[in-house]
Amino acid sequence: MFIHNFKYALKTLFRDKMLIFWTFAFPIILGTFFNMAFSNIENSEKLEIIDIAIVDNDEFQNNELFKEAFKTLSDEENEDRLFNTKYVTEEEAKQLLEKDEITGYLILEEDTPKVVVATSGINETILKYVVEEITTNGEIVENLMEKEIQQGIGSGVYNLYNLDYEKIYKNVLEKTQNQEAKIKNISNNNLSYTMIEFYTLIAMSCLYGGILGMVAINKNLPNMSNNGKRVSIAPTPKGKVISSSILAGYITQLVGLALLFIYTVFVLKVDYGTNLPLIILLGVVGSLAGLSMGLAIGTLFKTNENIKTGIVIAVTMFGCFLSGMMGITMKYIVDTNAPIINKINPASMITDGFYSLYYYDTLDRYYFNIASLLIFSFIMIVISYSSLRRQKYDSI
Amino acid sequence: MSPDAYDIKEKLGVVFQDVAVFEELTVYENIDYFCGLYIKDKNTRKQYIEEAIELVGLEEFKKFYPKQLSGGLLRRLNIACGIAHKPKLIFLDEPTVAVDPQSRNNILDGIQKLRNNGATIVYTTHYMEEVEIICDRVIILDKGKVLATGTTDELKELAKIEEKVTVEVNNLDEKYIEEIKKLENVDDVVYNGNILLVTYKKGKNNLVELIDYLKKESIRYNKIYSERPTLNDVFLELTGKELRD
Repeated sequence: MFIHNFKYALKTLFRDKMLIFWTFAFPIILGTFFNMAFSNIENSEKLEIIDIAIVDNDEFQNNELFKEAFKTLSDEENEDRLFNTKYVTEEEAKQLLEKDEITGYLILEEDTPKVVVATSGINETILKYVVEEITTNGEIVENLMEKEIQQGIGSGVYNLYNLDYEKIYKNVLEKTQNQEAKIKNISNNNLSYTMIEFYTLIAMSCLYGGILGMVAINKNLPNMSNNGKRVSIAPTPKGKVISSSILAGYITQLVGLALLFIYTVFVLKVDYGTNLPLIILLGVVGSLAGLSMGLAIGTLFKTNENIKTGIVIAVTMFGCFLSGMMGITMKYIVDTNAPIINKINPASMITDGFYSLYYYDTLDRYYFNIASLLIFSFIMIVISYSSLRRQKYDSI
Repeated sequence: MSPDAYDIKEKLGVVFQDVAVFEELTVYENIDYFCGLYIKDKNTRKQYIEEAIELVGLEEFKKFYPKQLSGGLLRRLNIACGIAHKPKLIFLDEPTVAVDPQSRNNILDGIQKLRNNGATIVYTTHYMEEVEIICDRVIILDKGKVLATGTTDELKELAKIEEKVTVEVNNLDEKYIEEIKKLENVDDVVYNGNILLVTYKKGKNNLVELIDYLKKESIRYNKIYSERPTLNDVFLELTGKELRD
């Protein structure tokens, strides 16, 4: 019975043109538009150098990491130059910002970098992003150095009382270049904020699985559709019919997601990073979150399928908007002003999962997002289940 | 009946008033899907599906999708999906609404075959002529209340009229209508257009007496015929003639 229903559920899903459009075609079309639009923007913006200022205080002078990083990123001979940097006092920096001569300025206070900007925009976001990356990369190098010293002393490579820092630094550098630890180059070439757009596109595709979950519910419940009435009078357990339909929906969703990945990687040349199993895991868990969200919408809203589809699309698009689909600035604004929103927004969890996988050496943030998505899915499934259990029909 | 009363459910078949089929599946696949919810054995199911298709006359449309079918064919598919598993008790809710005469004829034939094969059928309809053709026992319901039960003949006896005589006559004067009303056994006289309808409460030779009257008054008429009351008359008699929502 399970196989019989599963087989026909797959057939109905794959032959449903509306579903196929939203699940398979729409993300691919949108991805193509992103690629066309943003690749042009990136190419044109490569020439734009951002005017910034750095407060040249003692703390900055003592911080080799920031000093070197901004020296490189502001080097006129560097093809990937990102900034035109003025080294000034704090007062001068404030004045420059007031006169709108700079995008923002950086000040180091007690070794903590602080970025001051006047407005929100792409240039401001890039400056904040770069500072964040330098801080993160600095922490990574620091950790690697510590680890290298501990291991070196343990194995007798280094002498505790006579550490050869040049050798340690060289070894750490080699490891980073050998991809044992990933530190991204934050040059203009590599600083692709359009990556966020593609991450949100994947998130959108995952959450569109909600339409499939909603359909699985709608087609099997007597108060939702005529077919549901027929299914409900058959001598087949409701759980079996619904679970086989949900599984069919999930598989359809994963096929759609796989096609989107293949298209964006091989046709649009999007780089999602090298850790394929974790990329797949994020897609699989993200799709589960989308599917379970659709199940909850399917059971909670007592209305027709078209309106429910609209609700799933609206929720998905709003979630993607908040996670940066229509502009990375939005993600930054939400992260800064109301971080809780993106903590409960599945689109943001997926986007951030890809982001952390691509940019960070450690997987803590990635696994945090995976766990968040699983918790979100669990809550949605519990809501759907309890809603289904409560439904009784006097008359169909 | 509880939702998990599967032993009872497997003996039931329901054909809903609204067509309940999957637009994405062909005629054959739709019947196979719904039949498969009852019949696990593939060979038995295949045989049942073929029989259901033959019963509703969809042999030439097996690979058609619902949107390619006419309203009548769609209704026939709807019936096939509800009865393919050979239920013992079948509920049919107005299965002939908005179908062409050929499809209606096919559907009624099919229902009679199901009955002849031993199934008990509960048939809901507003078309009284269908009831006269296929039903052994009738229940007239109005606003959820049972107004009458019995065979069609038993119900017809409930009607307060015995005979209806219809006369096609032009320009009949009002005074003749009043005189006809006074004839023996006449219950009501309605003259609408060129049709004179005379209903009688009782009596056997009412038609002859009316013809004699028309002859005596030298009233020329084109056609005249007598009818027994129909179930429609019984229904209207019991439920009233005022319009419903």
